[in-house]
Amino acid sequence: MSSTAVASGKVEYTDSENRNALFAVKAHLIAGLSVFLLMMLGGLTMRAAQGTWIEIGVDLFYQIMTVHGVGVVGAAMIASTGVQWHFLRKYVRLSNAIFWTNFFIFLTGVVMILGSIFLGGYGGAWTFLYPLPAISMGAWSTGAAAVFQLGLLIIGVGFLILYLDFGRAILARYGSLARSLGLTMLFGKEPVDPAHPKAVVASTMVLIVNFLGIAAGAVVLVMGLINLYNPEFQPDAMLMKNLIYFFGHVVINATIYASVIAVYELLPRYTGRPWKTNKVFLAAWFAIVFMVMGVYPHHLLMDFPMPAWAMITAQVLSFGSGIPVLVVTGYGALMLVYRSGIKWSTTTKLLFLSMFGWAAGVIPAILDAMVTINRVFHNTLWVPGHFHFYLLLGLLPMIIGFTYHLAGEGDRSEQPKATDSLGFYAYLIGAFMTSMVFLASGANSIPRRWAVHMEEWVTFAQVGTIAAALVVLGTLLFTLRAIFILPGAANPR
Amino acid sequence: MIIKVKQEWLLLTAFVVLALPPMQQFLEQSMVTHMLVQIPVLAIIGWMLGKKLPENWKSKITLWNRWGITGMVLAVIIMTYWMLPRALDAAISEWHFELVKFVTVPIMGIALSLSWPLLHPIAQGVLKLEFWATFMRLGWLYLDLPDRLCANYLLGDQRILGQLLLLGGSAWAVAWTLRVMFGTRIVKT
Repeated sequence: MSSTAVASGKVEYTDSENRNALFAVKAHLIAGLSVFLLMMLGGLTMRAAQGTWIEIGVDLFYQIMTVHGVGVVGAAMIASTGVQWHFLRKYVRLSNAIFWTNFFIFLTGVVMILGSIFLGGYGGAWTFLYPLPAISMGAWSTGAAAVFQLGLLIIGVGFLILYLDFGRAILARYGSLARSLGLTMLFGKEPVDPAHPKAVVASTMVLIVNFLGIAAGAVVLVMGLINLYNPEFQPDAMLMKNLIYFFGHVVINATIYASVIAVYELLPRYTGRPWKTNKVFLAAWFAIVFMVMGVYPHHLLMDFPMPAWAMITAQVLSFGSGIPVLVVTGYGALMLVYRSGIKWSTTTKLLFLSMFGWAAGVIPAILDAMVTINRVFHNTLWVPGHFHFYLLLGLLPMIIGFTYHLAGEGDRSEQPKATDSLGFYAYLIGAFMTSMVFLASGANSIPRRWAVHMEEWVTFAQVGTIAAALVVLGTLLFTLRAIFILPGAANPR
Repeated sequence: MIIKVKQEWLLLTAFVVLALPPMQQFLEQSMVTHMLVQIPVLAIIGWMLGKKLPENWKSKITLWNRWGITGMVLAVIIMTYWMLPRALDAAISEWHFELVKFVTVPIMGIALSLSWPLLHPIAQGVLKLEFWATFMRLGWLYLDLPDRLCANYLLGDQRILGQLLLLGGSAWAVAWTLRVMFGTRIVKT
């Protein structure tokens, strides 16, 4: 074995392993950010079409909507996994080969999905909600729907393989997931270790929920594929919808829990203060394991055959799921930064912004998870308002902040350039406007997933287009920096 | 007085007992005992036989079984074939298919025992998951399908097998969860 665990608790690798690992993480970040940028261009196009500034065919609109939805989730997964893997490998011995394997499986899946959408014409949204893929009424072929679902399935398999490696490495070091999650400390079996790595706690949580989420996704995708080619096989539509939303909710939600590791690992470096692990932190992450998996029925509040207990649980857990996030991470970050004399670089600004986006982004979701509000808001633009807020101002700043850290700011010698500041403020204003326009549109009962908007709604879409253009500008500057500077940057010490 | 018998002879005896017509017919009269007793026991006999192979045989086979891939492919092909309802029917109706079963299933066991330790831990994990998923998938299928899959077995038998597969898969999942979450080993391997 070329690498060994050392007494300090961190794993040591050979120089060539470290170089390869850094290269792999950069590849994940560049791929993720590039896909994000392309998806944002797709989003801009859709908003401009709804705002009557450009004309595109309805078929193309739904194809763009499909690629936008699935592409953003995919980019979030691949980039957040890059962040997570970078930090986790310091504490447990991870395999570079498996990390690369997942990356190339992911790229294969992306090619299949792009082909199914733009060559095959598939436009049934990322949700592939049964039985829609099989009844396109001529808009796309069975083959296109099948390739789309196969692409997703392949990506899921790649991630399951990666999580097997996470699990193997964590078990090899800690013996059980309960121990790596800190449950032995939480319940008094072991003394609390303030240095217990947060990256390990968060990764264990992500491993548990994503493994189950992706497995559920694989089951539903296979069932859908069988139905495509054997229409006599008709699974229970409600079961299918439950599996799809369990998969979708868990996977996208887990990306932020994977990326927040960057905040836990980097903010202490920039503030010069340690972020100690304590029982409150461990309890919050333990609770999140169940909350992330239990809240998904809030996507199904309009499905009257769902059992009442599932709906009530979803509503209550949706209220509660904000608490660990706000109390532990947001409060912890505030205390860390307060009077620390932190030097505000693009990295720290983005990481701090992400705390706001994460904390505030859940509020529209909590509102929408109330049955009475959901009855009115569910099919409106309120819902994209929530997840754009959450992803643009919560998730992406974590990923981009980490990218800036790797691209030179981590050495503390590099100062933000004018283009960085322009990118940051264009992105901040654009992302906030995009989200708020969506929320305002939802509050005004403008439906979501409509290619053509009524005249009364057009102004909202036009303001949304300007906001989206600002987001694209900011992301373009960030991505250019990632593409041109990141590859040659040394590993920050 | 304890008589010491070589394990190889015990395995051969077990194999002969399984092949004897009374035992063979007893186990094959029900889909449950056919799939959950006879075939697994034949595979276990093969597995144990694989452990007892002379070292020079093992080293010669290893040259053709790098990382355990060849052996696992062979094992998976044999396993897939004997999961086909048509194959089970053929084994009951025609003696030469029965002979093939009694030869290939122990070979599958041998291939597994020689290849499993050579496999990468991640490949082991993937295969374990797939074996488990097969239990659940077939269990669900046997319970859900309105028609008989095997011409030789009744629908009721198929349903019982489905329930047992789901039960076995669930027990496996619980054991796994306890092992991974709390480090508790129910079965020491």
